[in-house]
Amino acid sequence: MTEMTAEPVLDKTRQRRRGYWSSVSLDGRKLGFWLAAPAVMMLIFIVIFPLAMQFYLSLTWWTPLDGVRWYRAYESFNIGDNYLRLLTDGALWAALGRTFLLMIVAIPAQFMLGLGLAYLFMEQFVGRKLFYSIILTPMMIVPAVVGLIFFLLFQSTGPVNDTFGLPVSFSWLTDVHRAMLSVIIADTWQWTPLMFLILLAGMLGVPRDQLTAGRLLGASNWQNFRKIILPRIKSVIAIALVLRTVECFKIFDVVFVMTKGGPGVETETISLFLYKKTFADLDWSYVAAIGLTILFSLSLIAACGMAYASMKKN
Amino acid sequence: MTSVQINNVTKRFGDFTAVRDLTLDIPQGQFIALLGPSGCGKTTTMNMIAGLENPSEGSISFNGSDLSGMRLQDRNIGFVFQNYAIFTHLTVYKNLSYGLEVRRLARSEIDRKVRAMAGRMGISHRLGEAASRLSVNEMQKLAIGRSAIVEPRVFLLDEPLSNLDASFRAYMRAELKVLQREFGQTMIYVTHDQIEAMSLADKIAIIDQGRLMQYGAPLDVYNDPHSRFVANFVGSPRINLLDGRLEGESGRLKLLLDGGAEIALSAGAAAEFSRVGFAQAVTLGIRPQHIYLGDRRSPEDIGMRGRVEEIERVGPTRLAYLQVGQTRFLSVDSHDRLSTGEEITFYLRADKSLAFDLATGDRLGGRLH
Repeated sequence: MTEMTAEPVLDKTRQRRRGYWSSVSLDGRKLGFWLAAPAVMMLIFIVIFPLAMQFYLSLTWWTPLDGVRWYRAYESFNIGDNYLRLLTDGALWAALGRTFLLMIVAIPAQFMLGLGLAYLFMEQFVGRKLFYSIILTPMMIVPAVVGLIFFLLFQSTGPVNDTFGLPVSFSWLTDVHRAMLSVIIADTWQWTPLMFLILLAGMLGVPRDQLTAGRLLGASNWQNFRKIILPRIKSVIAIALVLRTVECFKIFDVVFVMTKGGPGVETETISLFLYKKTFADLDWSYVAAIGLTILFSLSLIAACGMAYASMKKN
Repeated sequence: MTSVQINNVTKRFGDFTAVRDLTLDIPQGQFIALLGPSGCGKTTTMNMIAGLENPSEGSISFNGSDLSGMRLQDRNIGFVFQNYAIFTHLTVYKNLSYGLEVRRLARSEIDRKVRAMAGRMGISHRLGEAASRLSVNEMQKLAIGRSAIVEPRVFLLDEPLSNLDASFRAYMRAELKVLQREFGQTMIYVTHDQIEAMSLADKIAIIDQGRLMQYGAPLDVYNDPHSRFVANFVGSPRINLLDGRLEGESGRLKLLLDGGAEIALSAGAAAEFSRVGFAQAVTLGIRPQHIYLGDRRSPEDIGMRGRVEEIERVGPTRLAYLQVGQTRFLSVDSHDRLSTGEEITFYLRADKSLAFDLATGDRLGGRLH
């Protein structure tokens, strides 16, 4: 009786169809839940499950050598020993340091080159389309192939030494300092085009009239560049830098083909370090801990960055 | 104060000639309008003065000294773009200060000038706001203020009023005239609107297909057009242009219009036309304001009898279409006393009637009296 007084309008319908499922089609919220459910399940399976599994394994000593199934890994539960270990792992921090060194040199180099090229391409000139295609080519090449190209170029009997008249004893890929430089050059060669492409898109969006107006007000091209072009493409620059920073942090193929992280560990970036830990040391739970920590730290940095950006906007 | 000399300038873009052998002498401190239909080369001319384009032939000088080779930023030209080209990523203040900052003036000096100019243009209250938030009318003021603040040698305005709403356009037209007097600078103004040109300019240069058709004071151009094009382009409502031919008959000269109307020419006019020969194809030009009703005012005026075909009201004035045979005259019905279908006698003022060569469009002789 109480039901009937609560919703008298639906009285007839209610008599015909009863129970939870009959009310789903009438209640927008319930219907929405069930329509979205499959997609949410899929998302949980694709995104949440691997992460959760990784977290679970990172808390154990699980390794393929034991022959224990993954869901029984809890038997070797270690209360975060892997996380304590990574804090004091000199090799890990050294690999991180090398990755940052590579980023700090390579990304500004790519940015400056890309910016300069993009500025040149704002003007029309003979062969612009041709050069445009040529400049974009490196970006299209598979990174492993880029690694191979530079592996060959930097051989001590290769064309680089030949061109500069350097002796065969002058090595690039096996030299403690020059190995990293070679990797940086290869990465810059491949990814300057992406910077160029993104920055050019931004620059072409700067209204021509405004640049002309600036010139007529007495500004030089350089003043216009600083006061009109750069401020207008700020957000494009940010996107380009973020994209390249993330990508550069993950660098693997080029280094793997060119130096395999050598000589010694001189070019061993974080990806190579993880690769070696996974396949040479089979230290899987530790790798899981490192992976999660990096993911968490990067997310935190990104979130802070975005919060800062939106704070500045307001 | 700067005078501008355009000497035999030609500008070609590939096969297309935008400006042909243009010579124009612009005295210092004057307000000059470049008037012509779209695509006639007036904006190209303006761009060449600014240095945005280089002439293919000829030269442009300021105060007699050639500008070719001078860098854009050194020419010191105030340029107001049709779309204003406001720096939308900056504040109103920064827009105004741009030209001063790049000249590296002292901060206090910049501040003083910016505030003075903002006050002059009536945008002081918006100095701190983003320029992108201004209304179109305010953008127009900002664009002018931004150019004026650097005290340019020459002010160039490219159709600056065409984007404004009608009432503000009228206000801005008056305002521009005041500003020009205040700044005292030479101003060159590009427009396709003859009313704007007539009301603003000290002198009008009418350009068609890259050629200078006529250059003179607005009233001179209006009263004494050198060609059919100029007569047609200047003046509102538009001039009556009626094609026909000259014929001699028993020693008298007659103008036979294509629609059938006949005009007997006076001895004086006949003498003028005899120079160009008989049976010549001509166009008669008479402005609607120069057709009148009622009593003949001068013995030379040309009397006609026709029918009021249609009456059109344009604001406070009434326009009447008067039909003689198949020839139609547009006149201004200044006394509001005509009605459609009426048979009336009207007169063309002989001293204001013009004749042009049908083939070339050039003005023939003097006037029809």
